[in-house]
Amino acid sequence: MTNVAAPTNTARLVVGIDLGTTNSLAAVRTGKAARVLRDRDGEALIPSVVCFQPDGTTIVGRAAKALRLSLPDRTVFSVKRLIGRSMRDVAEDARSLPYEIVAGERDLPRVQIGAQQHSPEAISALVLQQVKTTAEQALGQPVREAVITVPAWFDDAQRQATKDAATLAGLVPVRILNEPTAAALAYGINGSKDGVALVYDLGGGTFDVSILRIADGVFRVLSTAGDTHLGGDDFDVLLAERILAALPRAGAKARAEDPYVQQALRSAAEGLKIRLSDALTADLELDLGEHGAVKLTVTRAEFEAAIAPLVQRTLDCVQLAVKDARLRLDAIDDVVLVGGSTRVPLVRERLAALTGKPPHTGVDPDLAVALGASIQADVLAGNDRSLLLLDVIPLSLGIETLGGAVQKLILRNSTIPTSVTEEFSTGVDNQTAVDLAIYQGERELARDCRLLGHFKLRGFPPMPAGLPRIAVTFLVDADGVLRVTAREQRTGVEASIQIVPSFGLTRDEVRRMMLESIEHAEADYKAREAIEVKHKAEAMVRGTQKVLQMAELPPDQTYAVMKALKALGKLLAANADAAALKAGCDELTKVTTTIADDVISAAVTKALHEEQQR
Amino acid sequence: MIHVPHRDPFTVFGLPRSLDLDERTVEARYLRLSRECHPDLHQGKATGDCIAVLQRSAEVNDAWKVLRDPWQRAKALLELLSPGALERNKKLDPGFLAEALELAEEVSFAAGAQIAPLRARLQATIDADFEALRADLARGAFDAAARRFHASHYHKKALADLDAKS
Repeated sequence: MTNVAAPTNTARLVVGIDLGTTNSLAAVRTGKAARVLRDRDGEALIPSVVCFQPDGTTIVGRAAKALRLSLPDRTVFSVKRLIGRSMRDVAEDARSLPYEIVAGERDLPRVQIGAQQHSPEAISALVLQQVKTTAEQALGQPVREAVITVPAWFDDAQRQATKDAATLAGLVPVRILNEPTAAALAYGINGSKDGVALVYDLGGGTFDVSILRIADGVFRVLSTAGDTHLGGDDFDVLLAERILAALPRAGAKARAEDPYVQQALRSAAEGLKIRLSDALTADLELDLGEHGAVKLTVTRAEFEAAIAPLVQRTLDCVQLAVKDARLRLDAIDDVVLVGGSTRVPLVRERLAALTGKPPHTGVDPDLAVALGASIQADVLAGNDRSLLLLDVIPLSLGIETLGGAVQKLILRNSTIPTSVTEEFSTGVDNQTAVDLAIYQGERELARDCRLLGHFKLRGFPPMPAGLPRIAVTFLVDADGVLRVTAREQRTGVEASIQIVPSFGLTRDEVRRMMLESIEHAEADYKAREAIEVKHKAEAMVRGTQKVLQMAELPPDQTYAVMKALKALGKLLAANADAAALKAGCDELTKVTTTIADDVISAAVTKALHEEQQR
Repeated sequence: MIHVPHRDPFTVFGLPRSLDLDERTVEARYLRLSRECHPDLHQGKATGDCIAVLQRSAEVNDAWKVLRDPWQRAKALLELLSPGALERNKKLDPGFLAEALELAEEVSFAAGAQIAPLRARLQATIDADFEALRADLARGAFDAAARRFHASHYHKKALADLDAKS
């Protein structure tokens, strides 16, 4: 890895990470150039897939994706659709995902693998860890701080859960950034794109649209709209249903519940979808063994008819965003496409027909978000003061009032940071605490909005009812996360606020999981070390044997080397632990290095080197 | 629950208390203030400073929301010139309410070719409301201005309902 220049150590290093439903990746900006970070094989995209193998080890990324069919109920993908949500929210997904999702504590979804339950945060953390490791290898230095992107339409709980996943992965999330905003940064960075841009981001699991005004290095988001449950995955589900319908009816029930069949159908559907982007028809031959076989042809027209209602939903969002931006469609200067699902021709056609503009495709839709995140990371690291991003809160925030209605305090598409202060009093004599229920959403009634949590304001001095004047300030910070502070105006008492999250992890859970991950880190390290020592010992045995054949050594030296070699060979055969193997290696090194002849030493080095390359 | 108003948005922006502000001037001021106080450009400060920066930034954003919109600007100005005027003048003339009700019915029954002229009429009414409000403010008739402000809500609501139909 000599072709990648590491950033100078004096500049603060903050990377940008796109934590996607399907793939994840990191990017970094050095000087004025942003680039994605690739692994040793030159791959930037890390599949957001985690395989929990029966022997207790976990595999992440491409290797895990390859195990989808052989370990269907242990290979977890699309976990982003579960993060920060309740069991009720994800019921639909639970049916179409091949791995088992159960209700854990507080009715939160947990992924059940064998006897173990994993939170969506913990699984996302494994993906983030893999991204972190890949970035560290590419950069040749440790990575701690990151800007992590989320769909603009993610609510407070989903953002908080993503932050928790980052913390569990050993990262400091310096900013949670909206994906379409990040993409706009990557697109408009060169300064020639001043004007109004519409970013249409259709990923694997989520859809976002944002409208920005770009001028003089200020990227101002005017509005955003979207759907956290609409993406290419849904296209796959529709195609999988089409394949399922073509299979014989006998045994349909057993088939629908079989995790292998589900994984195989999803893979086949994804393949069909990709081929239908280039071709007008695609053939499929799928043999599911005992569950039957199928041979069918799907035309692009059929596929388009199936997904048309979903595409229309995205266009409705586009129109809402335009309206919220107080603009008309003809005010849009450029349309930017982001996300792998924008490769579907129908999506491009319909969007072009609506906006009257051919979409801009200058930035790779798979990389734009990570590149944009790295630009914002560079700004936050203090390395670039010429850029400024002004983002908005996607959903209104309010509190429940009498009768179950929601009083909106902060309206959607308000530029953040933003704040509002309201005064409350007590209804009962000597009341010392007030309970507020905070909701997020656009609907009028609390039951139709999402409960973010209860804020308990405690510690007011006892007073007659109605006398306390409690000023509560709701402040949405630059991450789009709500902070609440309260103060009793008459006495100046600052009320303590306890946040009870309705979704995601409690603070205690995050702390406990952090500790566990540190414990596991040591075990993981030991396991890796053992493997490395074993490989080294094997290479030394082979290398030394070669040297013995090549070089003419004095008999006493030959004897000493052979003795050490035999001892190490025995240790290897007996599966000795790392410490014993290490001692054996050291002993062999000692006898070979006493060999006086430089030529021999050189031969040893050369042979060893060749062996290690094998 | 009582709403606690923000600090005077005109002062936050360092602009005169006036209904007639040049939109470009306000926008340029907004971008300049954002560059000065956005938390992104003040990373690495001590925690106390961070919160001050966050609050100042929120104040600028919230002031912008008011100043960019002529109606919001008028409301803020009225509240500054005559505190409580909007609260005191919520009761509207029954004759006006009857008119507003008629207008709402007209909107709900409007169809086809009727929509366009109705929209033009509503827009003209709203524009006239604003001009009258400006005159009220100029001559110091704050109670009349407050009633005018509340009345205009019915006209804006009618226009929004009409737009929602098509």
